[in-house]
Amino acid sequence: MSDSLFSIVGPVMVGPSSSHTAGAVRLGLLARMLANQPITHATFTLYNSFAHTHKGHGTDKGLLAGLLGFNVSDERIRTAFAHADEAHLPYEFLCDTAPNHYPPNTVHMALTLADTTTMTLIGHSIGAGRVRISQLNKHKVNLQGEMPTLLMIYTDKPGMIWQVTKTIAEAHINIATLHCNRQRRGKLAFMTITLDDALPTDAIDTINAITDVVMVRCLNKLPD
Amino acid sequence: MPYFNAFTDLLAHCDAQQCSIAQAALTMEAAETGQTEAAIKQRMDDLLTQMATTIQSGLATSEPSPSGLSGGDAQRMMAYLDNGNNVLNPLGTRLLAYGVATLEENNRMKPIVACPTAGGSGSVPAVLIALEDEQHVPRQKTIDGLLAAGCIGAITSQRMHLSGASAGCQAEVGVASGMAAGAMVQAMGGTPQQVLNAAAISMQNLMGLICDPVAGLVEVPCVLRNGLGAMQAVGAATMAMASITSFIPLDDVVDAMAQVGKLMPPQLKETAEGGLATTPTANAFTDAFFKPTP
Repeated sequence: MSDSLFSIVGPVMVGPSSSHTAGAVRLGLLARMLANQPITHATFTLYNSFAHTHKGHGTDKGLLAGLLGFNVSDERIRTAFAHADEAHLPYEFLCDTAPNHYPPNTVHMALTLADTTTMTLIGHSIGAGRVRISQLNKHKVNLQGEMPTLLMIYTDKPGMIWQVTKTIAEAHINIATLHCNRQRRGKLAFMTITLDDALPTDAIDTINAITDVVMVRCLNKLPD
Repeated sequence: MPYFNAFTDLLAHCDAQQCSIAQAALTMEAAETGQTEAAIKQRMDDLLTQMATTIQSGLATSEPSPSGLSGGDAQRMMAYLDNGNNVLNPLGTRLLAYGVATLEENNRMKPIVACPTAGGSGSVPAVLIALEDEQHVPRQKTIDGLLAAGCIGAITSQRMHLSGASAGCQAEVGVASGMAAGAMVQAMGGTPQQVLNAAAISMQNLMGLICDPVAGLVEVPCVLRNGLGAMQAVGAATMAMASITSFIPLDDVVDAMAQVGKLMPPQLKETAEGGLATTPTANAFTDAFFKPTP
């Protein structure tokens, strides 16, 4: 957790709950950044405490508001359903109350994108408005949105980490953390890099142009 | 703000530097984040303005929350004050109204300043804004108060998680009342030792407070409790300014609170499975509220 005074006094947010409302908005915002193109349909499945108390806490409105790009302090969260209709974003909420192994406040999102592909993710609200995405398109990830983050899916082969970190170094940006894993040798691999500053566009283009890169997403730090 | 994880270290720093807790907080925040002290004070000023705006909008309406469990009590409280009912002094009556107003707005899904959480967001603004409105304490002093409140919360949060789900309401309104008590002493020009005594006196008095919200909502008992949390903070601050000291120092109070949080059963930690939440009245409400699931 950030030790800043402003993590104690703040953020300015729309109530009623930092975990069930603000956290939901932030999960929606992260999903919007991961989609990186217009979303044409959204199905949310809520688990555990989210499934039990979403109605009173506006978790459903918060998730939708985040997908629409609203921040935690935006009063339009209250009328998010109407704004989704205006934005021609059809949506559906399901509740799964069967026992599961997920943490208390969990949502599964299935998003249809403008290019007709589907993106799925699993996100968790872990308290005081902080969030984590643990799965993207069934791949294990760990995204929190607390720093600018580069997420890359690529073919496992020699030199990939070097090519990416070299580009970041040439942009004079410091890497805070770097995590890699892979399905199997020579199959899909995943890299998550958190950065002290956001990557400039030309660096993202350079990384996108690396041979055998399947997907690159550059996520901004979530707004305060 | 990682320089100190103990209040004794903070106090030693204030003694050595001959500075207030507000100034120590400012120095630490500037060093950690690279912001200027002026920019940090401006952000605190903006947050106080948002707190006052939330209180005023909360007092301007009696609109019920979506569940119907809260709304209108802040107006009732202010009307009582405006009708000349001064059994409590006007400051006391006003801050009850202010604390309730913030939580009512929270439940209407209007903007609030989490302080330290949304469920405990009423007490610190109630004390500081009521001091501005009723005692004409200048904004520069309430900014110092909010800095001290943030400092108390930040050091506390290094020892325990500030959420009802992890440690009960003592970690939300309990900590908020300690932050508010310290904020008041700071705003009134008290010494660093008095600031920490006020926080210790207030927090030990809400130690053990459970989180048992009706239907899992942030309404009953949270809304009224935030007003009362502010009231208690003013009492603790007044004791500290009268040079009453806390026998148990704030570091020990926080560690004890963390221990009590661990000992507290899960039914009493924001699961709505015990306490007020499972009374016959609450059960009847909860059944009706959740019946038409969308």
